[in-house]
Amino acid sequence: MGARILIVDDSASIRQMIRTALEGDGYEVLECEDGEQALAAFQATPADLVITDIYMPRMDGLSLVRNLRELPALRFTPILILTTEEGDDMKQRGRAAGATGWIVKPFQAEHLCRVVGRLVPARA
Amino acid sequence: MVDLPEVTLHIGQVYATRTPTVVKTVLGSCIAVCLLDPVSRVGGMNHFMLPSPTHESRSGAQFGVHAMDLLIGAMQKAGAERRRLQAKLFGGGHVIQIGLNGSSVPERNIGFIEEFMTTEGITVLSRDLGGYLPRRIQLHTDSGKVYVKRLGQHALRQTRTEEKAVMRILGQEAERFGPILLFDDREVDRRVGSESAVRGGVRWVPGS
Repeated sequence: MGARILIVDDSASIRQMIRTALEGDGYEVLECEDGEQALAAFQATPADLVITDIYMPRMDGLSLVRNLRELPALRFTPILILTTEEGDDMKQRGRAAGATGWIVKPFQAEHLCRVVGRLVPARA
Repeated sequence: MVDLPEVTLHIGQVYATRTPTVVKTVLGSCIAVCLLDPVSRVGGMNHFMLPSPTHESRSGAQFGVHAMDLLIGAMQKAGAERRRLQAKLFGGGHVIQIGLNGSSVPERNIGFIEEFMTTEGITVLSRDLGGYLPRRIQLHTDSGKVYVKRLGQHALRQTRTEEKAVMRILGQEAERFGPILLFDDREVDRRVGSESAVRGGVRWVPGS
């Protein structure tokens, strides 16, 4: 079984684009539509890496990162923010929340896979 | 009647606001999606076209997904809630290429946006798509009302010239992507500098 990646984005189209790319590289992919759902999903089924959008209903991506980092098991799990936001102040907020990296949309699937592969190999 | 501020969108631009505004654009084969959240009264519009598919299996749909992602993101940032979004779809006129086969520019644009709305579960209140003439559309962001006017031969020539020029640029810009940053590391991939305002052919309009 490949490493498990949790994708959190309120757009089904974006989730599908990421899923196709990562499954092609041998990852197992879980999807959530918002931060609240992701937090619950993570506690039920932990993932090896999280990719999250920022603007989502109920719980936004930055709050999700902060909440995940409060879980002892999540201290070192890579969390990537995938967003249309590219301002330095937002990136600093992401970093302060505990994100591992920042990817500005539009993203190229190949680049995303390269970064994910560097943080978590598809097969342990 | 109070004069509302006006914003004109060109191909590749996105605008969303909570301040009552008139957003205008002229469409040929391009698509403009008007979104409204009737509760927060945030309204917005984008204006995009899909590039021609390339030999690298790029369908061009990725462009549309990003244009929509930018608009929905801008709406949410302005205070809209995704589940309340309502859409009106415009454009996809046969102004560049006459022919109704499924691969023509407007048909691809129309096919994309209809499929996107279904996938995302966004309610489409109305659509004015296809035809053979350009349209001028005006969105009132607070009410979501859209006024449409069909334009004549002069506008047809102008729109066709502008869209053909953009098609050529899009072919090159399809290769532009946002930067990737790892916080504990150097930037691992920087094909596009962060100073660039162009992302996937979609450009922010300042002041939103």
